[in-house]
Amino acid sequence: MSEARVPPFRRAVIALSGHPGNDRIVRIVSQLAQASKAELVGVHVVEVDWSQPLDADIAGRSEVAQRILDRAEEVAEGQGAALDAILLQARDVGAAIVDEAIEREADLLVLGLAYRMRFGGDFAIGRTIPYVLKNAPCAVWVVREPIPEEAS
Amino acid sequence: MIGGRRPLPGRKLGDRRVRVERPHAPYFRWSGAGQLTARAAASRPTTASGRWWAAVRALFLGRPLASDEEAGERLSKKKALAIFSSDAISSSAYATEEILRVLVIGGAVFLAFGLQIAIAIAILLAIVAFSYRQVCLAYPTGGGSYSVSKVNFGRRASLIAASALLIDYVMTVAVSISSAVEQITAALPVLLPEKVLIGVIAIALVTLGNLRGLREAGNIFAVPTYLFVGSALLMIAIGTFRIVILGEHGDFPRQLADQTIATTQSAVALLLLRAFAAGAVALTGTEAIATGVPAFKPPEARNAATTLAVMAGLLGVLFVGITFLAVNYGAVNVGGADGQTVIAQVARRVYGDNSIPFFLFQGFTAVLLVLAANTSFNAFPRLLAILAQDGFAPRQFGFRGDRLAFSYGIVILAVVAGSLVVAFNGETHLLIPLYAVGVFIDFTISQSGMVRHWLRERPPGFVQRLAINAVGALLTGVVAIVVAIAKAPTSFIVLILMAVLFGVMSFVRRQYDQQAAELEVREDVVFDRPHREQRVVVPVNGINRTVVQAVTFARTLAADVRAVYVTEDPDDGEALRQRWQRQLPGVPLVIVESPYRAIISPVIAYLDVLDKAWPPDKEAPITIVVLPEYVARHWWDRVLYNQTARRLRRALLGREHTVIADVPYRRGA
Repeated sequence: MSEARVPPFRRAVIALSGHPGNDRIVRIVSQLAQASKAELVGVHVVEVDWSQPLDADIAGRSEVAQRILDRAEEVAEGQGAALDAILLQARDVGAAIVDEAIEREADLLVLGLAYRMRFGGDFAIGRTIPYVLKNAPCAVWVVREPIPEEAS
Repeated sequence: MIGGRRPLPGRKLGDRRVRVERPHAPYFRWSGAGQLTARAAASRPTTASGRWWAAVRALFLGRPLASDEEAGERLSKKKALAIFSSDAISSSAYATEEILRVLVIGGAVFLAFGLQIAIAIAILLAIVAFSYRQVCLAYPTGGGSYSVSKVNFGRRASLIAASALLIDYVMTVAVSISSAVEQITAALPVLLPEKVLIGVIAIALVTLGNLRGLREAGNIFAVPTYLFVGSALLMIAIGTFRIVILGEHGDFPRQLADQTIATTQSAVALLLLRAFAAGAVALTGTEAIATGVPAFKPPEARNAATTLAVMAGLLGVLFVGITFLAVNYGAVNVGGADGQTVIAQVARRVYGDNSIPFFLFQGFTAVLLVLAANTSFNAFPRLLAILAQDGFAPRQFGFRGDRLAFSYGIVILAVVAGSLVVAFNGETHLLIPLYAVGVFIDFTISQSGMVRHWLRERPPGFVQRLAINAVGALLTGVVAIVVAIAKAPTSFIVLILMAVLFGVMSFVRRQYDQQAAELEVREDVVFDRPHREQRVVVPVNGINRTVVQAVTFARTLAADVRAVYVTEDPDDGEALRQRWQRQLPGVPLVIVESPYRAIISPVIAYLDVLDKAWPPDKEAPITIVVLPEYVARHWWDRVLYNQTARRLRRALLGREHTVIADVPYRRGA
C-alpha cells in the first residue's frame, strides 16, 4: 500500500453528537467508504443521569435525537452510501461508543471535535475523546472542525 | 426487549447501554422540528392489488422518483436550439407541401408562385420572431402567451390564449406524428397500409417515454435535430447548385401539365391567399423559446433571444430552400396511392432514388417530427398543471406521478391526439386546417399583451419595442383572420372548440371559487371547544362482537347513545331487547318494526324524526351514525359482508348535521 493512499476500512462507526459539523464528518467518511465499499454505522448516545433508570423512555421520545441520526442517514445517502443509524442510551457516552464499535467489529471509529466560540474560542476536548482514544481497540480518527475565519 | 429498548452489556459492569429501536426510520425521516418527510416505503401501496399495480407501473415506467430527484439542467444555446426548435424546424417538412397542395388546384403554372408565397411567409416569420425576442427580454421567467396575457389583459384573454395553446399542442402531436409516418412510408411504401397503426404506436411510445419522465434535455434531442438540419442544408445546397449552375429542372406530373382552370382575378387571389394560409403552418412552434427562457444558462433572456433569432433564420432558410427545390423539381403530392411527400420527392431527386443518403434523410426527418411531437408532451401537461394551479382545470392535472411527470395531462394528450390520427386516417394535410388558426390567435394575444406591457412599464426606448410588438400583433391578427377564413369551414371547428374549452375552464374556476367561499375560515376567529351537542345512533343487526365494539366506541363519543334495530318480526325484536338490556345496560335500544321489509329507509326516517323532535330554539346537534363493520379476510369474500352498512352509508352521505363513523371489527381484535 502506498503511503499516499488512505488506509482502507471495512466498517466504520461514526459518533454523532448533533453538532452541525457532523454533516462534514459523515460526508468525508461516506466518500472514503465508497472506495472500499465499507459499512458505515452512525451512533448517537443519549446520556442518562443516575436519577433515572437506564432503560427509561427518553431517547425514543426525543425528536432531537432521532433528527441527528436521520440527518446523518440523509447526508450519507446523498454521497451514495448507506449508513446504519443506532440510537443508544447510556450512563457514559465514551463507553457506549467503544462498546458499540467492539460489538460491531468496527475497524475505524470517527469522532468530531467542535470549535467552541465561547470563552475566547477553543477546542474543548471533553471526556469522551480521551476515553475513546484510550479504550477503543480499533483505529480512531478525530476530525477537528476548521477554525472559523473570524476567530483565527 | 421492552418497549423498543434493548439492554446490552458493556465491557465493564457499569457500562451497560440500551439500544433504542427507531420504528419510524424505514418510513419517515425527521427533517425539521415537528416535521416528517415520508420515505419511499411510506408511499408504497398497502393493499395487494395496489402493490400489484405498482409493480406493473414500475416495470413499464421505472421506479418512483422523489421530488428532489428532478433534473434541473440549464441549457447552452446550442442544446436549447435543438430542444426548443424541433417543433418549429420540423414544420419545414410539411409546410411546403401544404402550399403546393393548394396551388396545384390552379394547375402547373400556379406552382411557380410557391416560392413567392414561401418568401412572404419567411418575412412573416422574421417579424414574429423579432416580436418574440421582445417577449424573451421582457419575461425572463417564461413568456408563454397564457402568462403574458394573464399579466396584461386578465382572465378572459388568458383563457382564450390557453384554449388556443391546448388545441395547438394536441394538433402538434397529431400533425407531427402523421407527417413522421408519411416520411417513413415515403421511403418504405410497403408500410403505407399500416400508417394509422404506426402513428398510434408512435404516440404510445412517446407517451410511455414521457410517463417514465423523459426529459427534453440532452443529446436525445440535439443529435436528430442537427442531423436533420445538416442533411437538409446539404440537400438545399446540392439542389440549388444543380438548378442554378447546371440548369437541372423537373417535370410536373402529366395530369398537372394538362390541367387548366378558368381563372378570374379574384379566384387567383383566393387561391394564393389559401396557399399562404396553408403555408403559415411553418410558423408553428416559433413561440417555444419564449416560453422556455428559464431553462437557458445565464444571461437567460439574452441567450434565449439570440437562440430565437438563429432558429428563425434556420427555419426561414430551410423552408424557402425546400420550396425552391420543390418548385423547380416539380415535386407535388397529388394525393396518389404512392404516398410520396414533397420533401421525400426532393430528397430522392437530390440524394438519388433509393440511395442510402435518401433513406438516412427520411429517417432524420421522421425522428425530428417525433421529437417535435414530444415537445407538446412536455408543454401540454405543464400548461394544464398551471391552469389547475390557477383553478381553471381539475386539480388532478397538477399532481405529478411516480416519475415526476404530470401523468394525467400526458395521458389526455395521447388519447386526444391518437384519436385525431385515427379519425383523419393519419393524413397530415387533412389535419393541417385545424392547426394554424389557434397558433395565430395565440401569437396575436401574446403580441398584443406585449404592447400593453410596454405602454404600462414605459422603460427607456420603449417606443421602438412597442412598435415592433404592435406590428407583430397587427400582422399575426390579420393572418389569423385570413387563415380562419381561408380554411373555413374546418377552421371553425377550432374556434368552436376554443369556445368550449373557455367555457369549461371558466365553469371549473367558478366551482372552485364557490367551494373556497363556502369553506373559507375568517382569520380573526379563534375556535374554542365544541359547543354543539352530539348524539350517537348505532344501527345494529343483533348482538355480536362487531356491534359490541361499535357500541363501546359510541359511548366514548357522547352521553346520548342509542341503538336502532330494524326488523320485520316483532318477536325477534323483543327477544333482542331482553338480551340487550341484560348485556348492554345504559344504551337504549330502539326497535323499528318494518312490515314492508325495508331496512335503510326506516333508519333514515328515524333520524329525521329525531331531528324534528329537537327543540327548535336550540342549535341542531351533530348526529354521529356509528356503523359496525366486519372486515372480510379475503378480497373475494368482501361481497358477503357489510352490504347493508354500505347502502346505509351511501344514503347518509351529504345528510345535514350528520357524521358517519365506520367501526371495523377484525378477527382477533
